[in-house]
Amino acid sequence: MSTPASESTERSHEIKYTRFTIAHRIEHWVFISSFITLAITGLVQKFASSPISETIVGFLGGIENTRLIHHIAATLMMVVVIYHLGAAIFRLYVLRVRPTLVPTSFDFKAFWQEIIYILGRRQTGPQQGRYTFQEKFEYWAVVWGTIIMAVTGFVMWNPITTTQFLPGEIVPAAKAAHGAEAILAALSILIWHFYHVFVKHFNKSMYTGKMGEHEMMEEHAIELADIKAGTARLPLDPETYKRRLRIFIPSYGIVAALLSIFLIWFLFAEDTAIATIPPQDEQVEIFVPLTATPLPTPLPTATTAPIASLTWEGGIAQLFEAKCSACHNSGQKSGGLDLGTYESVLAGGNSAAGVIPGDAGNSQVVIIQSPGNHFGQFTGEELAQIIEWIEAGAHAK
Amino acid sequence: MRLNRFILPLNIVCLLVVGLFVGLREANAQSIKSPPAYWQETPGVDNEYCLGCHGKPDQKMTLPSGEELYLTVNPDTYYNSVHGKAGYACVQCHTDITSYPHPELIAQTHRELTVSMYGACGRCHQDKYQATQDSVHQKAMQAGNTEAAVCSDCHGSHDVQAIGESRTAIPQTCERCHFEIYQQYKDSVHGEALIGEGNPDVPSCIDCHGVHNVAGPDYNEQFHLKSPDLCKRCHTDEELMAKYGINTNVVNTYLADFHGTTVMFQAEIPGQETNKPVCVDCHGVHNIKSPDNPNSSVMKDNLQKTCQRCHPEAEINFPAAWMSHYVPSPTEYQLVYYVNLFYRILIPTLVGAMGLFVVAESIRRLINRRRKTKHE
Repeated sequence: MSTPASESTERSHEIKYTRFTIAHRIEHWVFISSFITLAITGLVQKFASSPISETIVGFLGGIENTRLIHHIAATLMMVVVIYHLGAAIFRLYVLRVRPTLVPTSFDFKAFWQEIIYILGRRQTGPQQGRYTFQEKFEYWAVVWGTIIMAVTGFVMWNPITTTQFLPGEIVPAAKAAHGAEAILAALSILIWHFYHVFVKHFNKSMYTGKMGEHEMMEEHAIELADIKAGTARLPLDPETYKRRLRIFIPSYGIVAALLSIFLIWFLFAEDTAIATIPPQDEQVEIFVPLTATPLPTPLPTATTAPIASLTWEGGIAQLFEAKCSACHNSGQKSGGLDLGTYESVLAGGNSAAGVIPGDAGNSQVVIIQSPGNHFGQFTGEELAQIIEWIEAGAHAK
Repeated sequence: MRLNRFILPLNIVCLLVVGLFVGLREANAQSIKSPPAYWQETPGVDNEYCLGCHGKPDQKMTLPSGEELYLTVNPDTYYNSVHGKAGYACVQCHTDITSYPHPELIAQTHRELTVSMYGACGRCHQDKYQATQDSVHQKAMQAGNTEAAVCSDCHGSHDVQAIGESRTAIPQTCERCHFEIYQQYKDSVHGEALIGEGNPDVPSCIDCHGVHNVAGPDYNEQFHLKSPDLCKRCHTDEELMAKYGINTNVVNTYLADFHGTTVMFQAEIPGQETNKPVCVDCHGVHNIKSPDNPNSSVMKDNLQKTCQRCHPEAEINFPAAWMSHYVPSPTEYQLVYYVNLFYRILIPTLVGAMGLFVVAESIRRLINRRRKTKHE
């Protein structure tokens, strides 16, 4: 689609017509930045399981951040819409420009002519006015799309407020419509809009604001004729202009204020959810031990049997039996020591004689038992009796 | 350079040496089925020696804390245990008690003594021991809570049995310390099946919390966040769920919705918390009931209350915004189904028409340009 070299020098000297004022262009650029932001931050949420979405969301700082950006861009778009409404009313009421975006039967005729041209039955495409049928289609598709997105977006942003008046199913239905409309809008822009402004010709009018004569001839021939004939705009004297402005500014000011208040309400209407971690259904104690009896009830400690007489057979034997026989018996001689009989006690074990009659201090039994931490430990009373018995001569009977 | 030709052989040798070390370390760390030879060579300390005293009934001593410590070990119990049957010696766990007199007992309380034996299991069961180091029990222990479970609290000490077929014993082990949670579990749909009917198709404590590296929400912030992966294991199993008539769409419908999508993104980030609900937040965790049960937190009539835990201002219509794990169809959630159907027709039609128009016009313009240049 690039123009042949011979025509370009000619084109650089051709008349340029102002197609879009600075206001138009700024509005367009702000709108498309919000649109692109919304598309990116929205589509990653719709196609959440895709690795591309994961990467983008990671890059944006997480899902909550992504949603915040989406909401901010949506708010910006709403502001543009409020501005656009004002700008349109200004142009139509104050400047009294012709409503060039309204579809008419002429557009259907132009569409038909275009079809015939594509089929090769016409030399050229249709001659159209300021906004071609392709542009009108685009414009009204955006209007329709924006309304759907705003309404469904509101429902998803404020589900509690919505479900105060409407059945709950409206929320997932809104989500379905929102996502689908987004796909439709994105594809329409990529296919329809980009073809017409980049591929068919590279249309610079939204950057420079101007369109050359040649392009005007091809795209907007009827408008060009009107401009040349001086009938494009109705004359407007300064007095009428000021009068209309005096009516417009306050009226639209109020409308804009009301719409802005509504927008602010939209943003802050509800606290949808708590910001903290949700409480568990039932709080439970984690450590609640079963009342267990890990040990059986301890047996009562054997009462010390009264010693009939201070002899082995008189009672000392029983003391040894009670405390020592578990380990120091004839079968299992701990330390080589058997304390079961009188003889074996005197004989002793690996280290020394168990008892030295008359010498308690050197008797191994006393030496072992005195520190107190022996396994089969005599009580203080019992040890005292044994010492007494030894000192008395450790008699057998 | 002259050194060049040594580089490659030197590299190979280094790799071999490193590999050797790693291999040895790995071999060492394997779960040991039979004890290393040197244990068996400990002279003269066979079980009969120990049981000579410890086999007698009513053997006890008093610990410095005043608690009674029972020293009797029933030989029948031990020889019927998995270690006894395999012929392990007492001293293989009680490695420091090889003769009489025994070394001085350091533990002041009964609990201290039990905890001091924790490392004994690790000598052979390295991998399980290592796993417990990461557990919530061990973290509690290190924070000073000595009541936290060590190996013997669950497995027993002299009476360790091999892991059996029946899984009903599992909750009853955890019950010993987590009695209140056990009561909740017993009344839940899973607990009733496992404890009440002996049905193994449901999770026991360790299926969700893990067994040696036991995890819990208080000590592992991603436990809560990643818990849908646990539920998913059974609830997306077609064969298993068909037995009970449970829909396996539960996971993908959750992920397709706002809560699940958020959790899915947040689960990617380590250490990330979420305040969005996962399965257990709505369904309950230990007290999960079937949605048909009137006490279930997700039964239609109870749902508003459940939603209000996070959405305190939600009113009666609000719960219907959640499609209850249904995929929209002409019978369930028709509005959503028909909106989807509408766009499924509209989008291809419109986009197809636009595409066709654009392509056709381009071709026409190309043809015309070529004709124009041909004629010039």
